[in-house]
Amino acid sequence: MMHLATIPNLVGGHLGGWRHKDAFDQPVMNLEAFIEMSQIAERGKLDCVFLADGNGVRDMHMPALFAANHPSARPAFFEPTTLLSAVSMVTKKIGVVATATSTFDEPYMVARRFASMDHISKGRAGWNLVTASNAGDALNFGLPPQARDDRYARAQEFYEVVAKLWDSWAPDAFPQNKETGQYLDPTRVRPTDHKGTFFDVKGPLNISQTPQGRPVVFMAGQSEPGMELAARYADGLFGAGTTKQDCIDAYANIKGRMVRYGRPQDHLKILPGVSVYVAPTAAEAEEFYEELQSLISPVLGVHYLSKMLVRDLDGLPLDGPLPDDMAEETVGGSSLRRYILDMAKREKLTIRQTYERTLPALGGPVFKGTPTQVADEMEDWWKSKACDGFTLLQPVQPRGLRDFVDLVVPELQKRGIFRKEYETSTLRGHLGLPEAPSQWQPTAAERGAA
Amino acid sequence: MSKRKDRMVLGINGGALGGHLGGWRHPDSFPDTTMRLDRMIETAVAGERGKFDFMFLADGNGVRQMDKPLLFAANSPSDRPSVFEPVTLYAALSQHTKHIGFVATATTSYEEPFMIARKFASLDHLSGGRAAWNLVTTQYVEDAKNFNRDEHMGREERYERARESLDVVRSLWDSWAEDAFIQDKATGRYLDPARVRLTNHRGKHFKVKGPLNVARTPQGQPVVFMAGQSDDGKELAAYGGEGLFGTASSKDEAMAEYADIKGRMPKYGRPPEALKILPGLSIYVGRTEAEADDLYGELQSLISPALGVTYLSKIVGFDLSRLPLDGPVPDAPASQALGGTAIGRSVLEMAHRDKLTIRQAYERVLPAMAGNMVKGTAAQVVDFMEDWFQSRACDGFILSVPVQPRSLKSFIDLVVPELQRRGLRPEDYVGSTLRDNMGLARPVDPFTRERAAS
Repeated sequence: MMHLATIPNLVGGHLGGWRHKDAFDQPVMNLEAFIEMSQIAERGKLDCVFLADGNGVRDMHMPALFAANHPSARPAFFEPTTLLSAVSMVTKKIGVVATATSTFDEPYMVARRFASMDHISKGRAGWNLVTASNAGDALNFGLPPQARDDRYARAQEFYEVVAKLWDSWAPDAFPQNKETGQYLDPTRVRPTDHKGTFFDVKGPLNISQTPQGRPVVFMAGQSEPGMELAARYADGLFGAGTTKQDCIDAYANIKGRMVRYGRPQDHLKILPGVSVYVAPTAAEAEEFYEELQSLISPVLGVHYLSKMLVRDLDGLPLDGPLPDDMAEETVGGSSLRRYILDMAKREKLTIRQTYERTLPALGGPVFKGTPTQVADEMEDWWKSKACDGFTLLQPVQPRGLRDFVDLVVPELQKRGIFRKEYETSTLRGHLGLPEAPSQWQPTAAERGAA
Repeated sequence: MSKRKDRMVLGINGGALGGHLGGWRHPDSFPDTTMRLDRMIETAVAGERGKFDFMFLADGNGVRQMDKPLLFAANSPSDRPSVFEPVTLYAALSQHTKHIGFVATATTSYEEPFMIARKFASLDHLSGGRAAWNLVTTQYVEDAKNFNRDEHMGREERYERARESLDVVRSLWDSWAEDAFIQDKATGRYLDPARVRLTNHRGKHFKVKGPLNVARTPQGQPVVFMAGQSDDGKELAAYGGEGLFGTASSKDEAMAEYADIKGRMPKYGRPPEALKILPGLSIYVGRTEAEADDLYGELQSLISPALGVTYLSKIVGFDLSRLPLDGPVPDAPASQALGGTAIGRSVLEMAHRDKLTIRQAYERVLPAMAGNMVKGTAAQVVDFMEDWFQSRACDGFILSVPVQPRSLKSFIDLVVPELQRRGLRPEDYVGSTLRDNMGLARPVDPFTRERAAS
């Protein structure tokens, strides 16, 4: 079965998306709109909603872009674990995945927020572990920009501490027996006693074992250390890649790494981001696409590309190539940066062509056309082992998600590659993931003796 | 002294567990409470029926009393071995209620100001203006070991850090003008870059550039509560607190403290009504005095002497278990002369003043977690509350109820109507935000302040 996550970003995934006539009029801090999006996604039986996040206001040094609000800037948004806790009250089945960073947060705090959210949502919580590549965010925590290798070394230990904290209590640790007065059983909890390079955490966590055993863990990094960490520990991966072949290569690469950690390949679901422009006819889809492209002036397009590539391109000829001295790696650059550079080089694009290609999908792939055409591409990628499903971005909200759910989901269901109803009530269940390992599970010997 | 015209502020402390150590074992308590969201929803909805201004949840970042297995297994109400993280919990409760405020605790000792500013701003938006941050510096030393530290910071450092953190959090909350987000589809101007300001804080404990990535909140800023009763704590409350969880153990003490703290406010340019002082109060109410006495007796009988002594040891901060039950309560050991908690010190003072034995001391401490209690009929309870309020011993109360859900229901059905009849509490919510209901002014954003000044 294909797995589908959606990013219910209220401003849509296209830089001009929020300006479209079918977009929400007042997306800033709009809880009702977000609830509407989550309910549409649940109606479509999607696995989860997913919230990217950062800890800073970005791009203030580029006033034109800042004022126009590009989709991944998020100058004003809810803190995701609080938002999704609220949203889990008005949904029943859909998973809720929030981002938190291992670079600026504390493992005890992260373990706690997500365990709390897993209890509140009755087993639907996921944590998207990011290392926060945005250099400016560090300045909100009194830190210099953090180098990638350091971020990932910290991330690995951070994850290990969080996983141990989540496993503090046995499932039967709270008898709450009024008769005997035993509220909890002191032998059914263990300290974490972690002493490492980055963290000393005694534990235990002050939250009982959660409905999922532990919340589902997503990652997003496509760098070398990012792929390695995902192969070792992630349950889900929000992948990125501009082409099917990129995704096939990344899929084989990451799944291949799992063997050395003794993990079966289906214990990690890889869900690349894809932007969907769907309409009843191909002409309508094309028209929709062009409407959005026309909302972006060249000045704004160049600023946006400058941001994505971490390089000021202002003043260079629009119809000339990108500079040929673009650095391979930058502090603060993401995997998307590399994909855009590769695409521009491969296809010999001008600056104008590059931003025009980048705008509709934040640099990721675009599936555009009729429901049949979109479903064909999705099925093809999925059957070619380019992915286990997709993280959907829609250019204009709520129209994009509604159209996907009303037009594409029935087509996928008809083909038998997507669920018609939820079969479980936990995110772990929706994703077909195994039960989380726990120190409290009986060993094989204990099972045999019983 | 003339009668007060302002409203008494009223909050409910805790969730579904009940405030008496034996409360959860009583036949009228919930059969189970651990991680039961439905019980918390029921409590919040009941609180709203009683027109409470807010719910209040204390919090810590550690599992406590593991070195005292007897007490650990019995689950004392303030130890919270397994509870929801309060801000995520309130975010969920905000979808089941419309008026009641949400006071959540977060510590400045282990959490970054940016994270604190963000989650409370987020909660204020989610709840439509009902969020409050209870600023604590964390007294429980073992929590430090969950955050890369072997030792807790000293009090002076904690309070210095707390004040700096509060300044940073408030500055972050002031990042955006009310009208910064234009969201004009026609012109493509989503926001006005001239209507956002950097925090640019560089202090002893924190360097924070800002701005915050959350728009200005419905209350302007979430309300700030505090709880410290040390001299440093009082000073910080006078400087920046808007609600204060008081721990004075008698009316005289409460009056002295009230005058002391309010007297410190003018030097910060703050009028006394900008801070509401709200002592904790445990309520044992019945339709008759006998019914209230019965409940009290039933609960006291659920606590064995061994458990009672362990509990008292925890409160005062040193071990009393080897001493004679009917002998006097000793002084704190010299090693604790400068430490201990405000509650611990006030319990020791009470024990010495009233010449209590260890047994008498724990029997006094149990019903109210060492705070104040009142027992009797609704009229007697309201007499007590009115007297404290009119004597300016407080601006209201944060109530603790011994058995849940019974005790909250009794309070709402019996006491609230009497409070309303005497004009101490409104018949309904007067406003839509916690600030409105508590009678606190809405902070003006710095952009408007500057415009007014020019």
